[in-house]
Amino acid sequence: MSWLPLAHALASRQDLPVPAWLFAWGASIVLIVSFFALSAGWRTPRFEQPHPRPFGAGLSRALLGLPAQILCGCIGVFLFGLAIYAGLQGTVAPDRNFALTFLFVTCWLGFAFFSAIFGDLFRPFNPWRAVGRAVGAGFGAIAGQRPAHVTYPEWLGRWPAAVGLLAFVWLEVVYGSGGAILDPQVAATAALVYSAYALAMMALFGVEEWCDRGEVFSVYFGMFGQLGIFGTRDGRLERRRPFSAATTWATVPGSAALVLASIATTSYDGASEGAFADAIEKVIGWVEGIGFGITASIRITDTIFLLITFAGVSLVYWLGVRGMRTVPGAPSLQKLRVGFAHTLIPIALAYLVAHYFSLFVFQEQAQFTYLLSDPLGTGTTDLFGTASAGVDYTVLTANAIWYVQVGALIVGHVLGLMLAHDRALVYWPNYRKATASQYWMLAVMVAFTCFGLYLLSVSNS
Amino acid sequence: MNTRTALIGGALVVVAVVLFVVLGGGEDSSNNDTTTSGNAVENEAKGSGGNGKKPETTAKQQVPTIVVRNGEPVGGVQTLEFSAGEEIRFRVSSDEAEEIHVHGYDIAKEVPAGGSVDFDFPAELEGIYEAELEGLGVQIAELRINP
Repeated sequence: MSWLPLAHALASRQDLPVPAWLFAWGASIVLIVSFFALSAGWRTPRFEQPHPRPFGAGLSRALLGLPAQILCGCIGVFLFGLAIYAGLQGTVAPDRNFALTFLFVTCWLGFAFFSAIFGDLFRPFNPWRAVGRAVGAGFGAIAGQRPAHVTYPEWLGRWPAAVGLLAFVWLEVVYGSGGAILDPQVAATAALVYSAYALAMMALFGVEEWCDRGEVFSVYFGMFGQLGIFGTRDGRLERRRPFSAATTWATVPGSAALVLASIATTSYDGASEGAFADAIEKVIGWVEGIGFGITASIRITDTIFLLITFAGVSLVYWLGVRGMRTVPGAPSLQKLRVGFAHTLIPIALAYLVAHYFSLFVFQEQAQFTYLLSDPLGTGTTDLFGTASAGVDYTVLTANAIWYVQVGALIVGHVLGLMLAHDRALVYWPNYRKATASQYWMLAVMVAFTCFGLYLLSVSNS
Repeated sequence: MNTRTALIGGALVVVAVVLFVVLGGGEDSSNNDTTTSGNAVENEAKGSGGNGKKPETTAKQQVPTIVVRNGEPVGGVQTLEFSAGEEIRFRVSSDEAEEIHVHGYDIAKEVPAGGSVDFDFPAELEGIYEAELEGLGVQIAELRINP
């Protein structure tokens, strides 16, 4: 029986496990950095204020004005439409079809990586938002009034996005692993179904409302965008202190669940071929014994493990929050749970980089050569003369990949600690108590980082 | 209370990291052992795993062979380890005619029904690559090229 999750199907190449010596070095550095952080922390919050520096009105208008919005929206709709068309009409070979690489690598990873540096980049290109706004404008022009919407329930917050994220990753790594790989037609059909759902929700609650709270991809990329250095306020583009926007992000209900789901889904994808592989194999046998078919058994088992991973990751965070509550002067559990959720965003990003960095570098070569020239994979089209190019696997050595993986986890760890220390200073005006509370978050971060290192070091299948 | 929780927290961290280092190291090396020794592949002469030039001449006759029966690799997907710069040599024998495709390296060779085919190419790309029966889409081997 062979396992073919998505990275497998697209790249036909996997990373070698991080060798034991590098694992030991990585873990040691994490430990040293953590103790250093405890003693050398600053005494007044540094990231709670964004210190925005607006750009000139002319530049803001050029980049954010209506013409730019329409242009970006059209690009987003066109490329998304192209991906769906390629998925439905193109070859069933996942690696030769534009759809899968574009949706799952270029967009899914690209928007996350680059938003984390530059701020939310997905918003202007969001195809559903563009369509929703165009329809809303058309409605306004005909009816002479703005469309009426149902008020979005405050308590629902980002929960639809958190659930949607789990569903998306389920489709990507669980559905696709059930013997048959996720083929482009299934992906395109899923994209169409999701589009119908997103547009219906926008019609119900309003375009911006749904994009802020419920639309999975806006919320997910927006989360990473909080780390980035550019933002907008009142139609003005501004530069802000890195990571500062994240400090106000988690106040919406469901945000903690979203960032935990992000860590869990990446962990699961990494672990399903390595750390969990034997256990999964065993459970599949049991499920099959109950009388399910092989494909169903694989999917049921994978789903169970995905949910267990989510529960485990959430439990670690919850224990940290419980621990902080024991420090005198602590705010309520609820406030702590919400208040420290944003400190996990760098960890979630580090996991994403560690697990998919090489896939991104290799697969983007395919994206911009043969997938661009021959999006349907017909073998006869050559739009830009690059249809016969291939992926150069020598651009990254195994060593380079290992250092990026371990480096990403360590940097994410340090950023998480910084944000947590900063937030503790807000909740505990007494510096000593703030530091005491951070032993707990430190334990959480060390657990996540070392788990991440562990996943990388376990040899896959 | 305050310092006690702090101490407990610190101790937990230390224990966690030490455990991870110890277990992680053990896990990794033991896994390597199983992949090299617990293999159904007829490996080349033990102990001469790829260092020096001498084994290369003897290895010619004893390259690892992957046996395919009824469209499945006998003994499951085989793991073959190589170091970058070495020659990758292996043989596939099959009861049915098939095309064997090594991904990444993008090398494909036909194997006749009841016959075998030899692969011999330099290990230029690092990482883990699949070899599969192209027609059936079944993976038969995993080539691990270590730096």
